[in-house]
Amino acid sequence: MLRVSQARKIFYPGTPDERKALDGADLSLATGEFCVVIGSNGAGKSSLLNAISGRMPLDEGRIEINGADLTDLPVFKRAARIASVFQDPMIGTAPTMTVAENMLLAELRGRRSSLSPGLNAERRDLFRERLSVIGLGLEDRLDTNVGLLSGGQRQSLSLVMAVSNQPDLLLLDEHTAALDPRTADLVMKATISAIDTHDLTALMVTHNMKHAVDYGDSLIMMDSGRVRLSMSGEEKAAATVETLIERFHETPDWLMLQEA
Amino acid sequence: MFDFLISFWNVVPVTFAQSLIISFVVMGIMIPFRILGFPDLTSEGAFPLGGCVAAVVLAAGFNPLLAMLMALICGFAAGCTTAWIHLRFRINTLLAGILVLTMLYSINLRIMGRTNIALFNFDSLFKWISPSMANIPTFKIVVVGVLVLLVFAAGWYFFLTERGVTVRAAGAGPQMAEAQGINVWTITVLGVGAGGALSALGGSIMVQSQGFADVNMGLGILINGLAALIIGESVVGRSSTLRQLAAPVVGSAIYYQLISLCLTLGLKPADLKLATGLFVLLMLGLPQLRSGGRYRTVPPQEKVKE
Repeated sequence: MLRVSQARKIFYPGTPDERKALDGADLSLATGEFCVVIGSNGAGKSSLLNAISGRMPLDEGRIEINGADLTDLPVFKRAARIASVFQDPMIGTAPTMTVAENMLLAELRGRRSSLSPGLNAERRDLFRERLSVIGLGLEDRLDTNVGLLSGGQRQSLSLVMAVSNQPDLLLLDEHTAALDPRTADLVMKATISAIDTHDLTALMVTHNMKHAVDYGDSLIMMDSGRVRLSMSGEEKAAATVETLIERFHETPDWLMLQEA
Repeated sequence: MFDFLISFWNVVPVTFAQSLIISFVVMGIMIPFRILGFPDLTSEGAFPLGGCVAAVVLAAGFNPLLAMLMALICGFAAGCTTAWIHLRFRINTLLAGILVLTMLYSINLRIMGRTNIALFNFDSLFKWISPSMANIPTFKIVVVGVLVLLVFAAGWYFFLTERGVTVRAAGAGPQMAEAQGINVWTITVLGVGAGGALSALGGSIMVQSQGFADVNMGLGILINGLAALIIGESVVGRSSTLRQLAAPVVGSAIYYQLISLCLTLGLKPADLKLATGLFVLLMLGLPQLRSGGRYRTVPPQEKVKE
């Protein structure tokens, strides 16, 4: 389904500031696979997701989804297949537009927009239904400007928007990291239930070891721009916070993992 | 002692007709500024561009509608150029606008071949519709008013369509818009182009109304337009698409009556630009004066080129 091969990206090459964001990263996901990505700061987790979504053009390597080569496509052309939720709740939604209008954008993702009125009763009902799943009361605030919502509400909206159109691939980049614990929990639960009900293929970056253990069919650990370890199947299912930390200490010089 | 009121009252219709024409320019400023988040200065060059193009087409004996269409197309191209310079070369939006408006000055001179053209002896939109009423202010108000209404209605319809919502999203959050599959680059080019087109349309109507085109007719139009926009937004607000679209028209009407009042009260025309500039400065600066922090921090660094 998703195949990343030999992805390489070097910032400021040949200068003292040279930084290898991705250094030959390989990854392959099966359809319906939910993979958790962990690694220390600067390991290349976000770079990997940004390379897949197109926000960071690669120097070398290839990115394919279902056999289609996406490597040279800009972000907006990949959006029909890929949906993302970012860490910052402020960049996943348009603050000066209403909840319904934001939902409309997600509904139009990957389609040609027409010159007919965007919001009608049918669509508003559909959006209400989709938003009610989260349980934050957003379904009653369709005409509220998103800028007036809290960070947690905005992030929940981002999530609902991302899963709206059955994306081929869902990218979650520490999407609960900026939220308070209770909201983070709510958004995470909604995420898991969306992935389960729609049987989505997903890639989730997290710093939270408990989440890494509890969720996902497989797990990869990144370090210096490469995938250093990967676990799947029974090995992943049997993993605990302790075994993960043990495995990670086999690789040198890490880590800054939080055991929360 | 109320003589000034009478002389003010006498020019109200003429001023209103003028403000309706300028409201195209104010819409042309509003769309890039407010909807696309692209501070665009092109109108300062696109307004005289529209005037010059229309003057040449009219002086060659063509139909006024063709003159306006040509002006519209040229203004569109000017706006697109500004946006493209910003996107392609990553040059600051304001600088991209200054580059285009400076270059347009030469282009406008080239188009006309001289600094001004008198149009009294040629056809105009107003004469074309009714030769006998062409110079009556009320008639001009009706003609331009209908055009303003058409543009307003088209904008109101468009910005609530699927396509229109994606355009607004491109301005509200470019990163988010891209992630939703919106081609922000193309929308920015076309949107700023639309702004330039409206400014040029305003210029083409202005020369037909005043009976001449002058290469310097755009001087300060941007600040006038901005002042009008700010006034309009403070009166009708900008909380909805409808209000945001109405603000240029309402603001332009109020602003030009205010100017006219100031002139009848004895303000020297030479001081007008200073007064307008101070007004815009005050309106933009007011929020900063009100927010009383303990000390002042340095604003984020601005770059000529990103």
